[in-house]
Amino acid sequence: MKKAKGGGDALRQNDSADPRKGEQQQQQSDGYDGDCDFAADLQDENNDPGLRREIRSKYRDFIDSVQQNREELLTPSNNKLSEVLEEANKLFKDVQNVREAALDAHLLVVATNLGKEKANQLAAEGAAFDTTVFAERLLSFMGLNRLEDGEDGQQSGGAAGGYLPPDAWHRVARRAESCIQAAPTFNYMMGSFHAEPPPPPAKRKIEWRKAHGKEAERTMPTQLKTMEGSHQEVTEKDVERILGYLKSYHQDDPTSPISYYEFVIDPNSFSRTVENIFHTSFLVRDGLAQVYMDDDKLPCIAPVEEGEEGEVGAGESFSKNQCIVSISLKTWKEIIEAYDIKDAMIQPPNTQNE
Amino acid sequence: MSQRKRLSNTQSSSQSKRQSGASVAQEENDDTTFTQPSTSQVQRGMQKLTPAQVDQKTAEVVQYFLVKDQKKIPVRRADLVKHVVKEYRTIYPEIMKRASRTFDQVFGLKMIEIDAKNHMYILINKLEPGDGASPIKSPTNPKMGLLFVILSVIFMKGGVVRENLIWNTLKKLRVDPREKHEDFGDVKKVVTDEFVRQRYLEYVRIPHTEPVEHEFRWGQRADVEVSKTKILEFMGQLHEQDPQSWSQQYREAHSVSGSTQPGSSR
Repeated sequence: MKKAKGGGDALRQNDSADPRKGEQQQQQSDGYDGDCDFAADLQDENNDPGLRREIRSKYRDFIDSVQQNREELLTPSNNKLSEVLEEANKLFKDVQNVREAALDAHLLVVATNLGKEKANQLAAEGAAFDTTVFAERLLSFMGLNRLEDGEDGQQSGGAAGGYLPPDAWHRVARRAESCIQAAPTFNYMMGSFHAEPPPPPAKRKIEWRKAHGKEAERTMPTQLKTMEGSHQEVTEKDVERILGYLKSYHQDDPTSPISYYEFVIDPNSFSRTVENIFHTSFLVRDGLAQVYMDDDKLPCIAPVEEGEEGEVGAGESFSKNQCIVSISLKTWKEIIEAYDIKDAMIQPPNTQNE
Repeated sequence: MSQRKRLSNTQSSSQSKRQSGASVAQEENDDTTFTQPSTSQVQRGMQKLTPAQVDQKTAEVVQYFLVKDQKKIPVRRADLVKHVVKEYRTIYPEIMKRASRTFDQVFGLKMIEIDAKNHMYILINKLEPGDGASPIKSPTNPKMGLLFVILSVIFMKGGVVRENLIWNTLKKLRVDPREKHEDFGDVKKVVTDEFVRQRYLEYVRIPHTEPVEHEFRWGQRADVEVSKTKILEFMGQLHEQDPQSWSQQYREAHSVSGSTQPGSSR
């Protein structure tokens, strides 16, 4: 079969019939070297499809190798590109079909591109620009801190170890500002508001309550406690205590009257004295104690006998009077001196507990 | 219905001018069919509008530009006409003229058409950057540093470089396109997508390469915004060399007569 079909070719052209081959070959050969033989007998030999395929695959391999070895071909120090062209010429000798010629054209395009690049390289006059040197210098500009003791080798940047400061690229950007005439971008002077919806009010209330609720509970018990404490101390505890003192003193010596002043006065503390007077007044008010004047017209205090309480209502000896007892610091001191009071008859509650 | 058909058939702005009151038919016109109105059409259009209306429209155009410029994406004429100018398209040239004057006199910016074929506009600074650092210490964008490095390499290497050269150079600067960078994130995307969309770079495929390779060139925005002379100065400082020692680049920088040149210099 003269029509051989191969794959992988971008240009698909069916092999033309025999009579046309000669023409095409004529056209192609005009562009290149004129060494091709176009005798009819040679045509028959070269029509072997296997050979065609071989030529095509040679071309393809050659093109691949050229593309792979780009870098090598581009180095100005060698002439490999010329060798490529010579090789291409040799290959072309066997070309007869359009398909192979197309591959040859492709190879030529690739070679030409390489040639152009190489020419560009050669055209560069003046100082060379080496990106490696540039990179090194730029790193220094960015403030690279090169470590002095050996390289850690964690960076792939070759010999230079060290780390870049966090503002490295900002430095470059700052330097770039003077080279770039960019329009400054506008932004609102006062900034714009943070476009977040406010937390819904229900959530707020719950949060507030959580923050304050516990505190409210906490304050309540303590307040109550203190209140009850002070309430008690004023009313019941102290009064009872004083009554106890009074009774015990009275029991010790029932006949001897207890001087009121001696009873209430605390020579060590004026304020305690006042408190005692305050508490005894409750006793008197409640009818648990009585204050009377003795023969020397000095007030005395005595507990009320339980049996006598019933007679209060009827009684002539017990008249309910009111009076105001006042005492000043000066008076307090005078009484202490006059009565020569050394110890308090009513012990303060703290010492009692000891 | 038939009216609209007539519009789509003729696709001329004179038709649309007559319909300036009925904006519905206007918006049916695809923006790609916008043709620049003639001066007589503009005049007639202006007569139908109050000065206040024209000023308002101009102000809207200015605002649109300023907001678009925040991302440095160029403004397409088609978008401008479709979204802002709308029914005032008959006086489009007049509006643009006034907007350009506003930018120039009020903001110190130049409105430049960087792509005459596709009609894209950008804003650049009218004032040249002064020598030395700017006294205004606005926060710097590290991406500008990255861009500057890339543009410098491209320029020093003759204006076109294969992408591998850029990637290799960046790797030497501890920026690896395969990894996520602290300052830039997805480096490859920033360089090949963001900078390209902003028209700072061009990233074109090289034909006949397998596997596919691209090359980088300066973009249209870079051509008007970036000063080659100043880049050469920086190179001189960095390498402690005279900028003139790079004679080819020096010639290139000074052949563009000054630092900026509107339009593409290709």
